[in-house]
Amino acid sequence: MTLEHCLILSFILFAIGTCGVLRQRHMVGMLISIEIMLNAANINFISFAYFKALDATAGAVFSIFVIAVTACEIAIALAIVVSMYRRHHSLDVNQLRDLHE
Amino acid sequence: MSLISDALFSDIMFYAVAAAMIIAALITITAKNLLQSAVFLIVSFVGTAILYLMLHAEFIAMAQIMVYAGGVVIFVIFTILLTSHLGESSLNIKVPRNFIAIALSAGLLFTLVRFLLKAKDIQVATPTASPDYASLPSLALRLLSADPSGFIIPFELISFILLVALICAITIARKFKGEE
Repeated sequence: MTLEHCLILSFILFAIGTCGVLRQRHMVGMLISIEIMLNAANINFISFAYFKALDATAGAVFSIFVIAVTACEIAIALAIVVSMYRRHHSLDVNQLRDLHE
Repeated sequence: MSLISDALFSDIMFYAVAAAMIIAALITITAKNLLQSAVFLIVSFVGTAILYLMLHAEFIAMAQIMVYAGGVVIFVIFTILLTSHLGESSLNIKVPRNFIAIALSAGLLFTLVRFLLKAKDIQVATPTASPDYASLPSLALRLLSADPSGFIIPFELISFILLVALICAITIARKFKGEE
C-alpha cells in the first residue's frame, strides 16, 4: 500500500462518480454519485496526510470539514428534492426548467 | 499467519478493500432501483472507513461510519421512500447519454492517472506522519486552539453552517399553505 495506490483508488472512485452524475436522470441518483465523488476527495486528503504531509493533523482536520459540509449539502439538496417532488410529481432533471425562471 | 509478513498482509487487505469499494460504487451508479444503489453506497462507505483504519485515522473512520453510513444514507433512503413508489422502475437512460458519460469519465481517469504516474516522489510506502496524527486528542487540540495554526474559526463557522443548513432544509421542505 503506497501513496500512489491510494491516489489511484481515489481517482477511480472519482471517475465512477463523474460517470454517475453525467448519466443519471434521476435527481437522487445524481446526489448519490456526488457523494461518491466527495468520498474520493476525502480519501485523497487522508492518504496525503498519512504518507507525505509536513503537517499531518491539518490534513485530517480538513477531512472532518469535508464531512461536515457534505452533511449540510445533502440535507439541503434532499429538502429541494422533496419540495420539487411535491410540485411536479417527478424527479427527472430534464424537467427542472423552472429553477431558472 | 507467520508465513505472511505484516506488510504483505496489509497489501492484500488494501487490494481486497479497494476492489470491494470499486465494485460497490459501480453497482451504485448502474443499479436500476435507487434503493439498491443506496444500499451499495453503504458498502462503499464502510469500505472507505476500513481504508481510514488502515491509514491509522481511527477518529475519521468512526466519523465516516456515523455521518455517512448512519446519517447521509439513511436520509437518502428516507427521501427515496417519500418520493417514489417501491418497485417503480427508474428513468430510462438513453444510449448516447450513457456513452458520452462513460467516455468523459474514462478520459478524466486516464488524464489523472497519466499525470500521476509522471510524478516520481509519490511512491512512498513509509508514512511520514506519526501514528497518532489523527487521534482524538491531537485532532481536538488542533481544532480548538486559537494559535495561527489552529482551526477555531473554521470550526465555529462549520457549526454555524450546520445550523443554517438545518433551518434552510426545514424551510424548503415544509408545506406551504397554498399547496395541496
